[in-house]
Amino acid sequence: MSGSAIVRRALRAGLVGAVIVVYLALVGMIERFQVRNLIGTQVTLARLLIAAPAFLAGLVAARPRIASGRVEQPTLPQAWPLGALTGAVAGAATGVLMLIWDAIGIDSVRNVFPNASPTLMSILTFGHPVVLAGLILTAGGAAVGAAGSVFRLLQFRIRRPLTTGVVTMLILALLQRIVPTALFELGLASGWLYSPITGGLTWPGALLVVVAATAAAWFWAERRRASRAGPEGTPQGRRMTRYVALLAIAGVLAVLPQLIGSVFSNILGDVGIYLLMGLGLNIVVGYAGMLHLGNVAFFAAGAYLTAVLMSAVPVTALGQGHPALSWHLSFYAALPLVIVLAAVLGVLIAGPVLRLRGDYLAIVTLGFGQIVSVLLQSDWLKPVLGGAQGLTGIAPAPIAGVSFRNPQTFYYLMVVLCVAAIYVSWRLAESRIGRAWNAMREDEQVAEAMGINTVRYKLLAFALGGAIGSLSGALFAVRIGSLTPTSFELLVSITALAVVILGGMGSIPGVVVGALALIGLPGLLSEFEDYRLLIYGAALVAIMILRPQGLIPNVRTARELKEEEILQDAWSRIYAGREPAPAAVGEAGKERG
Amino acid sequence: MSLLEVRGLTKRFGGLAALDGLDLEVREGEIVSVIGPNGAGKTTLFNTITGLYEPDEGDVVFDGRSIVGLRPNQITRLGIARTFQTVHLFPNMSVLENAMVGQHSRSRSGVFATVFRLPGQRREEERIRERARDALGFFGTRLSGYRHDQPAFTLSYANRRRLEIARALATEPKLLLLDEPTAGMNPRETLEVTEQIGRLRDERGLTILVIEHDMRVVKGVSDRVVACDYGRKIAEGTYEEVANDPQVIEAYLGKKAVG
Repeated sequence: MSGSAIVRRALRAGLVGAVIVVYLALVGMIERFQVRNLIGTQVTLARLLIAAPAFLAGLVAARPRIASGRVEQPTLPQAWPLGALTGAVAGAATGVLMLIWDAIGIDSVRNVFPNASPTLMSILTFGHPVVLAGLILTAGGAAVGAAGSVFRLLQFRIRRPLTTGVVTMLILALLQRIVPTALFELGLASGWLYSPITGGLTWPGALLVVVAATAAAWFWAERRRASRAGPEGTPQGRRMTRYVALLAIAGVLAVLPQLIGSVFSNILGDVGIYLLMGLGLNIVVGYAGMLHLGNVAFFAAGAYLTAVLMSAVPVTALGQGHPALSWHLSFYAALPLVIVLAAVLGVLIAGPVLRLRGDYLAIVTLGFGQIVSVLLQSDWLKPVLGGAQGLTGIAPAPIAGVSFRNPQTFYYLMVVLCVAAIYVSWRLAESRIGRAWNAMREDEQVAEAMGINTVRYKLLAFALGGAIGSLSGALFAVRIGSLTPTSFELLVSITALAVVILGGMGSIPGVVVGALALIGLPGLLSEFEDYRLLIYGAALVAIMILRPQGLIPNVRTARELKEEEILQDAWSRIYAGREPAPAAVGEAGKERG
Repeated sequence: MSLLEVRGLTKRFGGLAALDGLDLEVREGEIVSVIGPNGAGKTTLFNTITGLYEPDEGDVVFDGRSIVGLRPNQITRLGIARTFQTVHLFPNMSVLENAMVGQHSRSRSGVFATVFRLPGQRREEERIRERARDALGFFGTRLSGYRHDQPAFTLSYANRRRLEIARALATEPKLLLLDEPTAGMNPRETLEVTEQIGRLRDERGLTILVIEHDMRVVKGVSDRVVACDYGRKIAEGTYEEVANDPQVIEAYLGKKAVG
């Protein structure tokens, strides 16, 4: 690639970074995020937002380039000036913006961009005069961009643990409202890690975390490398490890609400509800490959069926009406009925869309979701579902005197249902049913030619997806005891889909992480809440471009990479003449399998 | 005894008759080749037999019963398996899983048995795995061992074709339809497939109907050769008879100029 093309690419990356910083400033995100100290008072979330685009742009500038079939990796002396240039462009753009604002007066700017406030300006200029601030921004951008490009040139086995270390530190910094409380409850000191004054991490604490997490990730990777070269662990050993890990997770889940307190338990309750919705949707979208945009229908069905079976009363203008059904079932008697009815609803939705694929399926299911929203608000169903005022008086779901209304106890009900749904999803994925869904997702016609009744398996996916999705609604109903149609809008479907896509379609751990990241994080930090949809959108775009398989991809996808490595090792041994050709590879494989 | 009998099969696409009253008979334990120039209706014949297309006229009788109007999955269950002219695997599933999908119609565990891990389901799952391994084992070490866990898209071209055959084998068919099994293979691989088609019959007791363009393969495997053109049968007999049939030569090379 010619020199000018490289420079052009660097400039382009820098300009994209600049646009992102200016955009974040103008929508008010930077000002809003300034209050959140991450490390000391120096690193705030806002400053991280200003620096990150320059860093990423530097990273992009140093990316190896495939030109005429050859991979060209820039060398260090080539890369860091490029990164610096990129970062300088990104920083200078903000500086220029400051100069313009200063020239025309911040009040005139404010008429057009309401978020351009003097506070924002002082954040972006670090309190210095604008010309000096412009120089600082440019120089700082150059330094950060150069750092980004140098980071990109590090060897993968160094870069990866280092990324883990820094990301761990950032996650701890973002969890600043929750981890210190948990440490305190455990009777551990937290002062070394979190500063009670700034709220964020202390500098020594942050450095310690980065070093410790990097070292741990390094040793973990080295051990895996060693175990791949040598014999793998015995099946008993691996099973043992798995049981220990499961026990550890169960232990943490059991004490979590006591450690984090009521407010955060409540947020975990939200996470659990979306986790269940995501698990249901994962069966339809992830396993069977049908893009379903009407998932809110299952959520609403679960909630309203539970409420009606438990004889909730409609809210009317004159107060409370009579319940449509006076069965007064307990939650635990209603739940199996709700699951069955939701499965029936799934079949009813799936019926008309059996012949549709892709975009058409998405649009029709979107319509089904809307139909449900409209029905909930309709006057026609008002005597049963309460119309726009909704239902109230849903009895709690007590076991042995515990009502599960309090966030810290509701949590346990949520965990039990989530674990059950995860178990069911996992069993299905590992069976002939899961394989049939996967085959159908890969190639419907061939799946049919291989003996799979595609009609039956599509219906089954919607039925089971609906059954699991309805659990989320049932939980939602008994959690507060009243329902209004505003909780069942299109946005619910979109959010559930975002959870599944972000985590990785068809991957159960992916759905868990997706729910924690998309529902838990905005709940945890109120400034995220204000920009929730912007962040969802950005996260989805980023994931689709950078990592379409999701944060924690399905084993199938992850395995590809691992197996390829094993394969290369095997071949290199053969070519080195240490082993006879294919037969031996086959034998080695049989022992493993 | 004839295992498959195709009578007067006609399939039209708009004005074009891809099959035009075709008759064909395959006896149990036979290997029959279908040859013919491009567009002769060979693949349409396969698609119609396996239920992907519904014929306009005529009948397909398999194992004593008519299978016209059945869905493809029902036909597979009755014992007809096929491969495709262009490879159609499940690319992101592993080699073993591809073959295990083939066992689908030979297993029956439902949702309840699966979720609660009933003993019957576990035994069945083990059996599915075993039979899938056995089907892959037909190709020796090429698809066995460490290859089991590889996703299908990482396989070489020839291995993908082998996996298609193995997946078809895993459905435990009586009749195997192979659509150009050697297309795109090098001469050595072609020779291997030729030998394997024979073994499929001798070792696994399959009846085989194969579409093939490579005349060495046709000569090597066929008990009987059927030549088609414009959706009709134009010749039938041993390889030598068909190869020397003037109508066949004309279909491939065109009519000799008069004079």
